Amino acid sequence: MQVRVRAFARLREAIGGDLTLEVPEGATMSRLLAAVGETSEQAGEALFEESGEIRGYVILMHNGRRVRRAEAGTLTLADGDEVALFPPVAGG
Amino acid sequence: MISVTRDDFDVNAVIDRVRRPDMGALVTFLGVVRDDGIEVMELEAYEEVAVKELGTIRDEAFAKYPVTAVEVIHRIGRLRVGENILLIVVGAGHRKEAFDACEHILERIKQSVPIWKKEIGKDGERWVPGESFGGDA
Repeated sequence: MQVRVRAFARLREAIGGDLTLEVPEGATMSRLLAAVGETSEQAGEALFEESGEIRGYVILMHNGRRVRRAEAGTLTLADGDEVALFPPVAGG
Repeated sequence: MISVTRDDFDVNAVIDRVRRPDMGALVTFLGVVRDDGIEVMELEAYEEVAVKELGTIRDEAFAKYPVTAVEVIHRIGRLRVGENILLIVVGAGHRKEAFDACEHILERIKQSVPIWKKEIGKDGERWVPGESFGGDA
């Protein structure tokens, strides 16, 4: 199945722009993040600590709704979903 | 009206669109690009979510304060020093609720609307650090 990944600000620069990734049916958010991290060394470093944990500043959204990092391992994605990755917001 | 746009806005035109005879106060916040030794600022947004979140913040303001109008326009794209970034206009019967609601809206925008700023100067560029981690450490 295909999942659209959108990234913003410095995460967009590290990942290189929006992606559409092929992941197995029933893949979780964690599985998708690992796939994003595997697209390039820069993307991997931007998303993960050396320990493999998702970096503290990475904010996750699933179809426009916030997802807590603790939920990433259990949140199951569906074909056509949109996942967004971004650092803390700085508008205003 | 809520808007995330590349276009500039006319502050007086927005105020005129909002004003009604029952309003004794129209509080306006205008955020502009400050000269911190930078040349331009690039703003980007997760637009669909930013518009939705601004709408939520407006609805919160209506629920929390006795105000009768809320307009928010946030620009994105490449802006030079001195250019307009953000306009908030709040109309109310009296000044206090208009000031309070306007400040509340501004603080909520900084907290949760997915918009980012990059400062570009002669010596390089940097992303302005976000103020909120969203309580998800």
